Amino acid sequence: MDAEMTRRVELTRVYHFSAAHCLAHPALSAADNAALYGPCARPHGHNYYLEVTVAGVPDPVTGFAVDLERLDQTVSRTVLDQVDHHRLEDAPILEGVITTGEGLAHAFWRTLREALPDGALQEVVVQETAKNRFAYRGEEI
Amino acid sequence: MTVQASTTRRFAFSAGHRYHVARWSADENARAFGRLTVPHGHNYTLDVTVRGPIDPQTGMVIDLGELKAIVNATVIERFDHADLNADALFRERIPTTENIAIAVWELLAPKLGPDRLARVRVWEDPTLFVDYDGR
Repeated sequence: MDAEMTRRVELTRVYHFSAAHCLAHPALSAADNAALYGPCARPHGHNYYLEVTVAGVPDPVTGFAVDLERLDQTVSRTVLDQVDHHRLEDAPILEGVITTGEGLAHAFWRTLREALPDGALQEVVVQETAKNRFAYRGEEI
Repeated sequence: MTVQASTTRRFAFSAGHRYHVARWSADENARAFGRLTVPHGHNYTLDVTVRGPIDPQTGMVIDLGELKAIVNATVIERFDHADLNADALFRERIPTTENIAIAVWELLAPKLGPDRLARVRVWEDPTLFVDYDGR
């Protein structure tokens, strides 16, 4: 195969959603959750950014490694539609998930890995605020 | 003990392009690329990452002045306010963000050394970037 055809790039698309959530473990009392999560145990919200990274080799004719329109549609349909202007606790893909940034990154990874072509997904990043950024690349220990 | 670290410097260039396959009809191009087949432009951001040992004398992985001079002379002067489709680098390939990242790597690797150049990241706009690391 031509070397030109095997050059693997990673493409990252940045999405945005706004959502409400609160951090609470269902097995704990309200007082214990307040002690554990502090102000995050109260219902509040964020302007989130979601970064989805997929890998591919640019097509020799079109130059596209990724069908961006399909990626956008997949992310919208499987993730954004469930979380944008919703309570995260109500989203079916987040059932049983404590909606920390780490928890969201992991849950979105599971959803997107199923929805995207095999092996395409490389990383999911959830940025909760300008100061907090959470990444998951599928690692398990 | 040699300590390895990386340095990333950000650059910017504004360039025009269109997605267009010469041997295709206008209809075929429109079907494949939609509005992107019409000439348009972007304010691109380029992040160049260099990896290497921290020089015990200077405390630097690379002199940022040297990095700036190389990237400006090799990439920015070539692409800024240019029509990417007219560049010889894109005669055989469409200047998608993917191919721009690969082309920037091809321009910089001989100047910086493929072992020192760690990654090229090209942002087409704040919602889309492509990384290429020479693989």
